[in-house]
Amino acid sequence: MAVARKRRYVVAPAGDFPPGSRRIMRVDGREIGVFHTPVGLFAVRNSCPHQAAPLCQGQVTGTLLPSAPGEYCWGLDGRILRCPWHGWEFDLATGRGLYDPTGRERVATYEVRVEGDVVVLFA
Amino acid sequence: MVAIAARAAAEQAGERRERRAAPQYELIDCDVHQSIGDYTQLHPYLPVQWRRYVSKSGFGGATSGILRGAGSLYRQDARPPGGGEPGSDPAWLRQQLIERYHVRYAILNGGNILGLGTLPDADYASALASAYNDWTIATWLTEHNADGRFKAAMLVAPQDPQGAAREIDRVGDHPHIVQVLFTTATGIPLGHRWFHPIYEAAERHGLPVAVHPGAEGRAIAGQPTAAGWISKYIEWHTCLPQTAMTHAVSLVCQGVFEKFPRLKVVLVECGQSWLAHVMWRLDKNYKALRVEVPWLKRLPSEYLKEHIRLTTQPIEEPPSREQFLQMLEMIDARRTLMLSTDYPHWDFDDPIAAFKHVPEDMKRRIYYQNAAELYGL
Repeated sequence: MAVARKRRYVVAPAGDFPPGSRRIMRVDGREIGVFHTPVGLFAVRNSCPHQAAPLCQGQVTGTLLPSAPGEYCWGLDGRILRCPWHGWEFDLATGRGLYDPTGRERVATYEVRVEGDVVVLFA
Repeated sequence: MVAIAARAAAEQAGERRERRAAPQYELIDCDVHQSIGDYTQLHPYLPVQWRRYVSKSGFGGATSGILRGAGSLYRQDARPPGGGEPGSDPAWLRQQLIERYHVRYAILNGGNILGLGTLPDADYASALASAYNDWTIATWLTEHNADGRFKAAMLVAPQDPQGAAREIDRVGDHPHIVQVLFTTATGIPLGHRWFHPIYEAAERHGLPVAVHPGAEGRAIAGQPTAAGWISKYIEWHTCLPQTAMTHAVSLVCQGVFEKFPRLKVVLVECGQSWLAHVMWRLDKNYKALRVEVPWLKRLPSEYLKEHIRLTTQPIEEPPSREQFLQMLEMIDARRTLMLSTDYPHWDFDDPIAAFKHVPEDMKRRIYYQNAAELYGL
């Protein structure tokens, strides 16, 4: 069985997609959220693995990193997407659910980059 | 003829079945209550300033005011033939419990003494705990313990954590002391750092920390249930696991088992099936609220299964055998559950009857192995 080839989609002109932007696109029957956060461009499936909530409507933020009891270490700013329903946290870069210590639970991620003067998504 | 022969054969087989001795299990009974009877036996172990508070009948302090409307605190047949308080005669306790049920080790958790943890005076509470420990060591663990079957909890005063830690250093290494014990009715959830000196000392001495209900509603413990003041003993007794549920959640969420990775906590007489509920609800909430407790590196249920142990009595009795076995599976009883009878109290469980239908491998875990591993017996 052939692996489905990724297709290239134009998200927006780069100038119209500054840090803080997000766009939810319908691509080949899937909804994918494209984010430009202070730390980069990211794209993930707009469906929470928990109960299929519209994940990409959630808040982009940082989080408290694993620490010793009573210690608080803020990090991953601009990398954390919190589901708008139950607040489950996902790392935009890897798709990994921070709530799952096994690292198996994740949301699908996609490649997104600037080519010339446009932001493009490969999905 | 054939029918008669068949019946005779069947009868013979039945007889053989009856003659075959029921399998005998060695038990570790994780909740036995020795009784002091006359509390002035503590006088020799108490500094003089505290002796006037201790009379034959007790050590003072408040009651909850919840009255028992039926029967006594004790099994009616537990009163020793020579008189005295049930649980006060080692020979009678041996006969009624240890010999009858093949108890290899009985963990003595004190009797009518845990209420010291609710006394407003922390100095008195600690002195009382030390005196009771000395009395238990001199009598039950020495004078009446030639065969070493008696093991005991050492008491500490939870309102005096530094004093409790010193007491653990003082008697915690006694060969027959197997755990540190105080009341569940602490008024402060167990995860709070108030208690951490106790955990540090217990872990250092390789002793589990156990808590036991009964003082809910007394003095500084505050209200006996999460919803407030119930009025009947049946309500009070039924709601006791509420305290333990809070303690279990607090211990995990405050990171106690990350800070003290070798610590085990025994929730004695606190019920069973709620553990499944708490594990499921807490795991679900962890997924949404992890950011509040970033020190947790595993799912909360994994900390609970590794660090919390429950005792069986009073075992919950669902209407069907199938539900009973499902309950034991849901709480991972092969790992978390340890036998207890609560002898000589009224709500005693017969250890054989209560687990008649439990699969053999699980039965051995509950009857013996889980406790043997926990206590190093």
